[in-house]
Amino acid sequence: MGAWRHFPIFMITVPLLGAVLLPFLGYAREKWVPYASLLPLGTSALLGVLLIGRIPSGGYLSYHMGGWEPPFGIEIRLDYVGLFLMLVVCGITTLALVYSRHYIEKEVSGGRRTAYYVLYLLMSGAMLGFVATGDIFNLFVFMEILALSSYALVAITGNRNAVRAAFKYILMGAPSSIMVLLAIGFLYSVTGTLNMADLARRIAESGFTEVLIVSYILLVVGFGVKAALFPLHMWLPDAHSIAPSPISALLSGLLVEVCAFALVRITLSVFTMRASDLVMGTADAVGVAAAAAVLYGGIMAILQKDLKMMIAYSTVSHIGYIFLGLTAFTAEGLTGAMYHMLDHGLAKACLFLCAGNFIYLKGYRRIEDLKGAWVQMPWTCFAFALASLSVIGIPPTAGFISKWYLILGNVKGGKWLYAAVLLAGSILAAVYCLRIIYYMFFQSGKEGAWEEYWHDAPPAMLAPVWVLSLATLFFGVFSSLIIPSLLKAAAYLL
Amino acid sequence: MRLLHNYHYAAAMLLFCLGLHTVIVRRNIIKKLIGLNIMETSVFFFYISLGYLEGGIAPIRTGGADPARMVNPIPQALILTGIVVAVSVTALALSMVILLYRQYGTLDVDRLMREEEPEAGESGKEG
Amino acid sequence: MKKVAALLFISALAVLLLFVVAGMPPMGDPGNPTVTHVIPRYLERAEEETHTVNVITGIILNYRGYDTMGEVTVIFCALAAVLAVLGRERRGVIHGFVDRSEVPASVIVKTMVRFIVPFIILFSVYTILHGETSPGGGFQGGAVIGGSMIIFTTIFGLYESSRRIPLKVRAPLEGAAVMGFFLVGSLGLVGGGNFLTYAWPRVAQGLHPSLVVWLTVLVEVGIGLGGAMVLTSILFAMIREEEEIAPAS
Repeated sequence: MGAWRHFPIFMITVPLLGAVLLPFLGYAREKWVPYASLLPLGTSALLGVLLIGRIPSGGYLSYHMGGWEPPFGIEIRLDYVGLFLMLVVCGITTLALVYSRHYIEKEVSGGRRTAYYVLYLLMSGAMLGFVATGDIFNLFVFMEILALSSYALVAITGNRNAVRAAFKYILMGAPSSIMVLLAIGFLYSVTGTLNMADLARRIAESGFTEVLIVSYILLVVGFGVKAALFPLHMWLPDAHSIAPSPISALLSGLLVEVCAFALVRITLSVFTMRASDLVMGTADAVGVAAAAAVLYGGIMAILQKDLKMMIAYSTVSHIGYIFLGLTAFTAEGLTGAMYHMLDHGLAKACLFLCAGNFIYLKGYRRIEDLKGAWVQMPWTCFAFALASLSVIGIPPTAGFISKWYLILGNVKGGKWLYAAVLLAGSILAAVYCLRIIYYMFFQSGKEGAWEEYWHDAPPAMLAPVWVLSLATLFFGVFSSLIIPSLLKAAAYLL
Repeated sequence: MRLLHNYHYAAAMLLFCLGLHTVIVRRNIIKKLIGLNIMETSVFFFYISLGYLEGGIAPIRTGGADPARMVNPIPQALILTGIVVAVSVTALALSMVILLYRQYGTLDVDRLMREEEPEAGESGKEG
Repeated sequence: MKKVAALLFISALAVLLLFVVAGMPPMGDPGNPTVTHVIPRYLERAEEETHTVNVITGIILNYRGYDTMGEVTVIFCALAAVLAVLGRERRGVIHGFVDRSEVPASVIVKTMVRFIVPFIILFSVYTILHGETSPGGGFQGGAVIGGSMIIFTTIFGLYESSRRIPLKVRAPLEGAAVMGFFLVGSLGLVGGGNFLTYAWPRVAQGLHPSLVVWLTVLVEVGIGLGGAMVLTSILFAMIREEEEIAPAS
């Protein structure tokens, strides 16, 4: 019983506490706020790293809040996949925070900068809490913190379009949260418990099938809106393209994935044994929606003229990939989905941050304007190219590994059509990504569009971009670090 | 039959649908927010009714109150949190309505969403 | 056309939900899973374990305290969000120059409000402190204070009410709830238990009742104050009339 048992809860509460203390610092020395906000996130990341290896890949860490054993108290339940995701969250949020310093200075007006960092820390802490919890109502509470902070962060520049996009997000996000709450109510009424492990047991024995089916549907719709699964994705393109770039990186790279993960966990860990009769019908529908997402997102991405809109539609497409991994119901498919959360998070964050570099330095948002960009901003362009390779799925990037497992999982599960859709998605991604690479490197810009010499973004903005893009390469080459354990964990979940 | 016996739940479901209908159909954004509040309230009503026990008493242990007859305290605890969440979302949404009205001059969602976003060349800022 | 589609969708949803309701366990039945599963333990032992007479307070602060910590974070997040969208008043400047209603409040209303508001605040303090023994609790009391500020601000204007609760009082206290939870939670670790444990294993059994009660009151007051200040700040932010609320687009 070492002190490390307590690490998960500190990973969650330290950013939240940091968020509450930050306004005091903002009042005293506003200049220090960006640096100070690195402290809580850095602590969480450190604690997370120290936890690696403490959790057996088939088992989990269970922590009883307040000392009350579940189901009387709330439990924090961290299995290998959960810790993996927490580390991904810590990593990407820290990098985007480093990036934020310059970007926010330019894009957000003075009085709101502290609010940005406060909301940023709240969102990060909430994401960690969301992944780690073992109680379904607690999941809802953290989802709300996540949602609220993200609504505000989309609107934070105060720009008209930003506020409008944020409001559209609220109009879809808030009802979806209520649906989740209603579903939790239904589940509670027939099982009497809120703890997810206990729920799993009682659902398996319960006779109230209609209630369970409908609550599952409500959960799928509720989390589906948050995870931007087609056709519930309508809020995403505007919100993600108009938000400040580091926030776009977090929203696309982490938030939608974490919500998709919640749905995966609910399907596999809560509705377990009944999966065959209750869940399969809905799961088939989800599969169709996911396949449509892959194709729709890809096609719409090709049609976009604004860079961030294109990247946002690419997110819609890739969320489809994650769900196709779930609906395959095989260990490989699930592993592919989990690994895709990692590589999509890294690559998408990198793409958005690169887009942010272009906007920060030159104010260019359109794809057309990127012609000949490599003359001035080669670092950003190369990082973008590298991350794009992961998005397309070219070896040896991490994207290739995840897509390999996704396709393998679907083939093994007998879902040939979905495997074909996945391949088609890669082809579509190749079109929209390679087009940009071509523009950046092989075309020349208009007169005076770019400076003659290298003048890329400041190091604080370049470093995170490069760490992310190199990470996509690293996790592609060294995937054997993680894949076997993921495979075991996935098999255990199924 | 069961549906009539569970009439509280049925009423809550009807209110929920009414609220959702309002959110979807109404053009005035404040009415949409009211619809959202109706949805939220209906869910709270649903939860509290879940806790009902025939002939129950309040779950406060004073004066020899019999625990076996107390209504369920859990939904009430959950709804306290739920209400706070609902208030928070409403507060944020209303702040955005204030901003939207100042910036666009309208509360009509169709007119709001129809305005084209300016192309990027004009302003260096987001959107 | 869109209205017809929406109506059809909602009707289908209503039918589906009513179908579910028909399939649910009967309301009020003592054999329900909600009644038989977890509740008896709470009802039987809440008094000895949480030392509060009100079982609900015991649940929200003790058994499911983590959820309440999430809740106070939500309300703090709402404040941060509203301030991010609307901006905060500049330090040292008091805003609210205009009496916002077209019909100025009559003398009767003003006198009554000025008379009643202190009693409302007194009532809310009572509610906060008596959460353990009667219906009430931290956030409920905080919300009542918020309500009293709404009345006061509506009748007397923002200038008067922000003089009563100025920024330098509100700003430190807004985070009180979260800080209170973190403090009590960490103390639980010091006391030998898990995070947010009230009955410290390292302390003698006999001391537990007063220890638990004091910690509970600490958290309760934190929630009450924090909630009240947050609601007041949100109110002030929304009412404040100012030109530079959003940069010109």
